[in-house]
Amino acid sequence: MSMKLTLDFQYTTTIEKLWNALTDSSKLAKWVANIQTGVPMENDFKPVVGHRFQFRTEPSEWWDGIIEGEVLLVDAPNKVSYTWGTGDERHTITWTLQELGDGKVNLHLEQVGFSNAQAFGGAKYGWSKWCGNLEQVVA
Amino acid sequence: MSENNPLRDVFHAIADPTRRALIRLLAEARELPLHELTIHFRMGRTAVSKHLTILKEAGLVLDRKVGRETLFRLNAAPLREVQDWAADYSKFWSANLQRLNRLLEEEEQ
Repeated sequence: MSMKLTLDFQYTTTIEKLWNALTDSSKLAKWVANIQTGVPMENDFKPVVGHRFQFRTEPSEWWDGIIEGEVLLVDAPNKVSYTWGTGDERHTITWTLQELGDGKVNLHLEQVGFSNAQAFGGAKYGWSKWCGNLEQVVA
Repeated sequence: MSENNPLRDVFHAIADPTRRALIRLLAEARELPLHELTIHFRMGRTAVSKHLTILKEAGLVLDRKVGRETLFRLNAAPLREVQDWAADYSKFWSANLQRLNRLLEEEEQ
């Protein structure tokens, strides 16, 4: 059991263009940015299984600015998965692309492996259930 | 972070399933005495009381005396720290996927 982050986005584009945006190094550099500074991150990503890559941004007081990963799965233009490590965290990211028709493509993100979440693992309550409650409790 | 100046890290406080269950019970009820909390667990009052003390030290539980009884209630504010921690990753991708949307729109033009 571990925490899972999922996000879904719909884009008006073709599945091939979205695939390129997700897997081409020069395209990634146009949208994967340090959200604190808005500055795009340099990267040497390649959609090749086993390829090790880095995304880099200016280091800050609390972060060395480096994300390291290894490509785990490439199924063009439908699915790509890689590890994503920053600081003490080692996550796995999986992108799934799905054509919706009418020139729209759904992009599904799944990020798992949050280390702190391991501490939350109890026999009774899954993270998602816990997190759902958290929203209500904190609201 | 907390107005209660907690002695304990909130992540430690919620790492235990019994303590998460206590938070859940207190989130559903306004205020409960120890004996009403204890009936939900396969452990004695002393053990439940120890868990409540850890939650109190993290600022997650407040108590007050009413007659001979002590009533416990939830103070959820410190849980925001947990939520913020998880939300950082969500924010990273939400912000960047919006940038991706603008990029794809520009390419269409």
